[in-house]
Amino acid sequence: MTAAVLDRPLRAPLGRLLAAEVRWTLRRPRTIIALAALALAPVLMGIGIAIAGEGSRGGPGGLFGALAGNGFVLPIVAMYMLLPVLLPLLGSMAAADALAGESAHGTLRGLLLAPVSRGRLLAVKAFGVAVVVWLGVLVVALSGVVTGLVLVGSNGLITLSGTTLSVADALLRIGLAVLWVGFQVFAVASIALAVSAWTEHPLVVLAVALAFVLVSAVVSALPNTEWIQPYLLPTGWMSLTDVLRDPVPGTELLRSTVKALCYSVIGLSLAYGRLSTKDG
Amino acid sequence: MNRKRASVTAAVAGTVVGVAGLAVLAMPASAGSAPVLPAVSAEQLVQSVLTTKSVPAFAGTVRGTNNLGLPSVPGLGEAGKFLANSSAEVRIWSDGEGRGKLELPSNSGSESIVYDGKTLWDWKSSDHTVRKSEQSPAEHREHPQAASDPATAAKQIIELISKDSTVKVDGTATVAGRSVYQLVLAPKPSERTMLREVRISVDAETKLPLQLSVYGNGSADPVLQIGFSELTIGAQDASLFQFTPPANATVTTAEPKQDKAKDFPGDAASKTVGEGWDTVLVGKLPTTGATDKSGRSQDPMALLKQIAKPVSGAWGSGYTIGASIGNAVVTQDGRYAVGAVPLQVLTNALEQSK
Repeated sequence: MTAAVLDRPLRAPLGRLLAAEVRWTLRRPRTIIALAALALAPVLMGIGIAIAGEGSRGGPGGLFGALAGNGFVLPIVAMYMLLPVLLPLLGSMAAADALAGESAHGTLRGLLLAPVSRGRLLAVKAFGVAVVVWLGVLVVALSGVVTGLVLVGSNGLITLSGTTLSVADALLRIGLAVLWVGFQVFAVASIALAVSAWTEHPLVVLAVALAFVLVSAVVSALPNTEWIQPYLLPTGWMSLTDVLRDPVPGTELLRSTVKALCYSVIGLSLAYGRLSTKDG
Repeated sequence: MNRKRASVTAAVAGTVVGVAGLAVLAMPASAGSAPVLPAVSAEQLVQSVLTTKSVPAFAGTVRGTNNLGLPSVPGLGEAGKFLANSSAEVRIWSDGEGRGKLELPSNSGSESIVYDGKTLWDWKSSDHTVRKSEQSPAEHREHPQAASDPATAAKQIIELISKDSTVKVDGTATVAGRSVYQLVLAPKPSERTMLREVRISVDAETKLPLQLSVYGNGSADPVLQIGFSELTIGAQDASLFQFTPPANATVTTAEPKQDKAKDFPGDAASKTVGEGWDTVLVGKLPTTGATDKSGRSQDPMALLKQIAKPVSGAWGSGYTIGASIGNAVVTQDGRYAVGAVPLQVLTNALEQSK
């Protein structure tokens, strides 16, 4: 009877695996330091705008101008400013540690030898990366909301369209922005995860992922590249300011989310392809 | 190993799905087969457009594209952007009973214009200002913004050029997800114009003109195009057509408007030569130097020297600016001629009007 039980492969419950992966990721000092540094960014922006006072103009989409006396705009501005480089950097760092880092330490071998399907292993790793990504965005948003309320003050959110939203609606808009930014960053992290499966040097993963983001941004700014622009991730990133319009023009937000999902599918498929053919 | 091959297949399939998804996203939205609609004659279509007096309640996005190929003028700033090849988008709402809302997104923020039936509110997010003006609906219709409504623009054009053009219905298409008839206005062969045709897409159901495209000779893409890129016809939320100035805004009340057209000096001195497609507008530039925003006076001739090329002939000498569907000539003594015609027709017109 005992033998019959042992014949069946032992399966740890998925919840426990995911919790273990998240604990493992979040206990790394570099993750905590990165999150803390991200939390500092909205505070610095808030101080800068408070010092500049009413005279502040410009900024992405005229957002600095919209910030005056309008604290709930700060988290959106902060996410907008961090999206092009720093948030993808956080996601790539998590992705680099997830596979290439384990490979460098020799711990990936243990996981590959274990009687676990490679798909399951990748799913757990990708979940850990996703948690870091959305946590990072959430930290920026929360820090932005608190800083905005303390330094700039607000009685609700004045949209770019000139309407005033209640606090609950404002928080809903910020929540929407967190969700959307998370998808964009996770798309970059998925590409990083694919590279991570192919190499055992975490630095290579970081370099490739950042190069991917920066080259995309440079190409999307070049003239006569209209034909390739719809394929690039950063071309959709301007649409974050759409959450500050009323009613929200959903088309561009939705299109860039689907684009990010396509990139995620490509990245995770490539990672799975490499991981499933890897010998222990 | 079978299992390994299966997982590689899955990985390849996943990658292909992702790339295909990107390709679908990148495809222009208008791609698709022409819808099948009952046949209609050009006269019926034009008439049904002209008799459609009421605009239904709708929400939409109007997109204008400009490939005129005009030279970029230094020192115009934001306005220069609209002269050079560009495209711009305006979001537009109507409740079908005269109230409406326009939103013009730009890099420096956003401008909203709301007409609530009595008051016209103009909000600029970049400097938190609200301009409020009391206007009767009739005056509102003459607001310059109305020209960005394709319904108005297309109607004006049909009325203007129907006598010198061949008008026909050239198949069907899809604009902003709606089935449309394509009304094509082409110049009669006797017309000396640089325009090839004007194509108006008329919604099959509501008979609203949804898109206006102007084609020049020798180019497959429209030179000018204004039309809905998104359109939903149906009742709109009433709160869209109300505006309460936000707490941090500066509200100014506009003075009753003067008729600005009378003040424009060039207008009184101008006349048209020829008719139909080869109409040429001939006139005299104001002699006083124009001043730009910062109060510096600008010599129009000095500016022309930078952007135009010199021409001369029996009519005199001057400078010409060419665009892909028309030309303009300014003579040394300050006369000008503009039209959607070759340069030769312009100089003939200048000679005639001497």
